Amino acid sequence: MATAEIDVPQQGLPSLADANRDISRPISTPYKRYWLLLGICAALIAAAGVAWTIQIRDGMGRAGMNNPVNWGVYIVTFVFWVGIAHSGTLISAVLYLVRSGWRTTINRTAEAMTIFAVMTAGLFPLIHLGRVWYFYYLVPYPSTRLLWPNFRSPLVWDMFAIGTYFTISLVFWYLGLIPDLAVLRDRFTGIKKKLYGAFSLGWQGTVKDWSHYRRLYLYLAGIATPLVLSVHSVVSWDFAMGVVPGWHSTIFAPYFVAGAIFSGVAMVITITIPLRWAFGLDRYITEYHFDNMAKLLLFTSLIVGYAYGMEYFLAWFSSDPIEMESFRWRASGFYAGPFWIMVFCNVVVPASLWFKRTRNSIKALFVISVFVNIGMWYERFVIIVTSLAHEFDPSAWRVYTPSLVEMTIMVGSFAWFFFWILLFAKTLPVISIVEVKEHLAHEHEHGGH
Amino acid sequence: MSGILAQFDSLGATRKAIESLREAGHSDLEVFAPFPTPELEEALGIISSPIRRWALIGGITGFATAVALTGLTALAYPLVTQGKPILSWPAYFIIIFEMTILFTGLFGFLGVLHHMKKPGRLSPQYRTSFSVDRFGVYVLAAAGAEQSSVETLVRDAGAVEVESGV
Repeated sequence: MATAEIDVPQQGLPSLADANRDISRPISTPYKRYWLLLGICAALIAAAGVAWTIQIRDGMGRAGMNNPVNWGVYIVTFVFWVGIAHSGTLISAVLYLVRSGWRTTINRTAEAMTIFAVMTAGLFPLIHLGRVWYFYYLVPYPSTRLLWPNFRSPLVWDMFAIGTYFTISLVFWYLGLIPDLAVLRDRFTGIKKKLYGAFSLGWQGTVKDWSHYRRLYLYLAGIATPLVLSVHSVVSWDFAMGVVPGWHSTIFAPYFVAGAIFSGVAMVITITIPLRWAFGLDRYITEYHFDNMAKLLLFTSLIVGYAYGMEYFLAWFSSDPIEMESFRWRASGFYAGPFWIMVFCNVVVPASLWFKRTRNSIKALFVISVFVNIGMWYERFVIIVTSLAHEFDPSAWRVYTPSLVEMTIMVGSFAWFFFWILLFAKTLPVISIVEVKEHLAHEHEHGGH
Repeated sequence: MSGILAQFDSLGATRKAIESLREAGHSDLEVFAPFPTPELEEALGIISSPIRRWALIGGITGFATAVALTGLTALAYPLVTQGKPILSWPAYFIIIFEMTILFTGLFGFLGVLHHMKKPGRLSPQYRTSFSVDRFGVYVLAAAGAEQSSVETLVRDAGAVEVESGV
């Protein structure tokens, strides 16, 4: 994929000191618009908080869910955010292992996105619980009743998978941040110096330290790769282990993993484009990087499109009337709207990325990535809700429409996610300074101009 | 005993300095670099890192912990659910897999902190330019003839700044 001729342009190559200055600039520069955005996010989070309070006070009836659709917007949004969390580790770990140089300038933001997306996703099982104060029932602890979690249950697998994913992603992110925090410690004075100094743990970059760092970074990349595949497989098994038509399928694990990477790459693009524009990082995040992300987006879109087709093929091939009816209704019944929005956003719109002109247009890429984000939320809605609404017995068929409480909490989750992204962008280097330097040093040494 | 701290502005010069210092019998070098440098690790003779042992022990610990957690809790309260055997290893394997990975990563991180002796204070030889674009080589040398011979060595290799008696 990466060839020598489309690399970072040689002329105007930043120096190592430039990298320190440019990437840490947003931290010390005040922006009025920044506080405005942060305020909007805080207001939306507060609205969601009010909605949740109402739900806790009045009970789960405030959410639109009822039999047979007991998993609604909360679980849809949960799966959506877990999916978003995936490309962070894909970009950091998998592309590190295969030595794809283009990950360098986007991996920090992608990893931060992973952590904040898991933090957002993690709220939804709690909100969905109703009696949120009983959440610790999932945690294995020696209780006085000698009861332990049922380790055969996909929901318990899910807790372990997502807990591990969050912890390992955090360690991976933090390890990569330590040398950059040392850069900030050395640049700033006063309270900032103290804070960055404390978090950099006294890093001084001796070659021996770097050898330990490199070794662990490699190992974390190595273990994060199977981990990232396992996490969304486990999420998919929350569904596929049940006998619900539309869920009980062996293709669910790879189907969900591809969808997760697809939506995650889209979210990386949605976040990186405004950040690059706001902080003037054009010299570091170039069209070359966006071109590669666009190709990854196109590739995963094809897998997702194939999976949509394959689901229909398997339903027909099974000759099972219930399975066939479930899929017929999905595309033509009450939820035909969400279904076709999903197909349009995830298959039709990304097909424009076949053209180099679209891939090289930052504006077009931004619009496409927003379409994919919307489409992937609808995909989870279609999978979860249409399957439950139209199970075996026609007398048990009911449709579900989300309530205002659910939608407010869903919108609030976006605000919560972007709130953290904004805090991150203002307090930590959004590009890995050290990796940029490593790349630049080799360019300077071998480029010779 | 004090020493010589030499600063370099290129990887090549640093490598040359390390090699000539090691040839002259100075094996206890402290080298600072602004980014990871496999070349300098090689020049210093660092072949492997003990982190691999930490990761392995972590992985084994995680695996064993998860086997014990899933198996022993199932035996402690033997209740048949979903028509599956009390010890349903295929289902438990997911927990075992995740915990193996979790402990590998956490032990590895603890190992890195342990071997870097961090969190800790900065050494007196650290200069803030080492987090910008400079490489630093610190050599322990007795004041007098030894220090001046080291100084000549690093200057020949292309040091841009030399401090003695650090």
